[in-house]
Amino acid sequence: MAKKRSSKKVSAGRARKKAVAKVDNTLSPHGGKLVNRVVEDREKAKKLASKAKVELPIRDQHAREIVSMAYGFFSPLDGFMKRADVASICKKMTLASGYVWSIPIVFDLSDDEIRSMGIKEGDTILLKYQNQPFATLEVEEIYSFDKKLMAVSVYGTDDEKHPGVKRTYQYKDKFLGGRITLINPPVINPPFDKFWYPPAKSREKIKEFGWKRAVAHQTRNVPHTGHEWLMKGAWFEAQSDVNPNECGVLVNCVVGEKRKGDYIDEAIVLSHAALGENGYFKQGTHMVSILLWDMRYAGPKEAIFHAIVRKNMGCTHHMFGRDHAGVGDYYDKYAAHEIFKKIPDLGIKSVLTLEWWYCPTCAEVTYEGLCGHKPQKFSGSVLRSILLDGVKPTRLIMRPEVFDTVMMAAEKYGFGNPFVDDRYLAERNPVMTVPPMEV
Amino acid sequence: MAETFPIYIWINEERFEKLQKAGLADKAVEAFAGLKRLEVHANEAQKDELLKKFPGSKCDLSTTRSIELLPRAFKDKLFEKVLELKRLDPEVVDAALKD
Repeated sequence: MAKKRSSKKVSAGRARKKAVAKVDNTLSPHGGKLVNRVVEDREKAKKLASKAKVELPIRDQHAREIVSMAYGFFSPLDGFMKRADVASICKKMTLASGYVWSIPIVFDLSDDEIRSMGIKEGDTILLKYQNQPFATLEVEEIYSFDKKLMAVSVYGTDDEKHPGVKRTYQYKDKFLGGRITLINPPVINPPFDKFWYPPAKSREKIKEFGWKRAVAHQTRNVPHTGHEWLMKGAWFEAQSDVNPNECGVLVNCVVGEKRKGDYIDEAIVLSHAALGENGYFKQGTHMVSILLWDMRYAGPKEAIFHAIVRKNMGCTHHMFGRDHAGVGDYYDKYAAHEIFKKIPDLGIKSVLTLEWWYCPTCAEVTYEGLCGHKPQKFSGSVLRSILLDGVKPTRLIMRPEVFDTVMMAAEKYGFGNPFVDDRYLAERNPVMTVPPMEV
Repeated sequence: MAETFPIYIWINEERFEKLQKAGLADKAVEAFAGLKRLEVHANEAQKDELLKKFPGSKCDLSTTRSIELLPRAFKDKLFEKVLELKRLDPEVVDAALKD
């Protein structure tokens, strides 16, 4: 028995070494193949569900991650990570296979839950969401991991005030690693449905537009003109070696756990769409989409994650501005720019930009790298203050159609408020609904 | 002089007309890309009272020291009191809080 285990170890080690030596991080999708773990056939889905010995309700974070993995946003991941992947991410920012990866995607469970439900390696678990069968998890490994090591490796700090660190420390004692299958695909509800472009679909759309260059814009914000020019500046750079109609901006709005004071999700997606609908980006150069993901605020590490996800969606370029995915003062404001110099080529070009700001002397939005006057910087809190007063900013700050859309979204979806408050958190319409399924 | 904490009231056309009628148009200062605002000043006790009364609000102590994210209804009331009392100091904040 001992001999068998040892030989297995050796062969797994060799295989891993071989895989590490061979990986090509420039492959698009990441790893070379778009993962698809979605079962659309109801009978097949029921058959898969019936194999499960245990049913387990899951929380929102895991539901979003399952959907994102199943549709290939997180390719090459096809399930929750095993210990070797998490250890490798912490040590060298790669999966065990050698592909660059920066954020652990893990399924945590307490010892008590594992014991009381009798979960063992080799089991298949039926994961339930919104009280409906949702996905299966093939439990390949049950393991523990040093959460402090995970936090410090990913976030560069063990300060519990950091929201990513806090999330990590809140994970339960054990992790279940293994492949997932989405057996009951959720319905994406309005207004998000028309922005739902899983990678296979976004790649088709990019092809349909005829884009040879697709530049990704990551956002959790309603666009002011500084954002608009950030996108336009990145478009200029990406478009430089192709025809203008062969280049477009793919806006990818992160839709996930909300914090009080954030813009409501509906205002974000609809106001970005308003830029295209009103000609600030001409038809065929702009597309708005969503990503189901709970921000980790991991700064540079999250920038790498974003680059991989957008590569999977078919993008060739990704813009990174000031303080990308950062929080507080945990990261240098251009840390995301620096990290791409230290990792292998990911096959998606980083467009690294400084700030776009309003200059009262130039009387226009201009660029930090060019303008020699004293600027008026776009500040999130100033814009919040203006919008909360219900005052329409000048069009130099925010396009009137964007403002009108934000206010409409506030009335229709935010109980009168464009920002997340207690009522929105408690009563908002869900982004996705899992249809009823009898197993 | 005791420290005060600004509360910004952003000025749209409608509010600007009212300020003009009250002879207060020159109190609105250009703040951002042509957009004007009034700066009403709260004292420390009022700042604490406002933060307690409106838990969603905050005081940006690290940079502007301004009181932000106050509900629109309170800002509207504050603006009314500015027009009525024709001043921008803590007395206006007091009047709005009492109302």
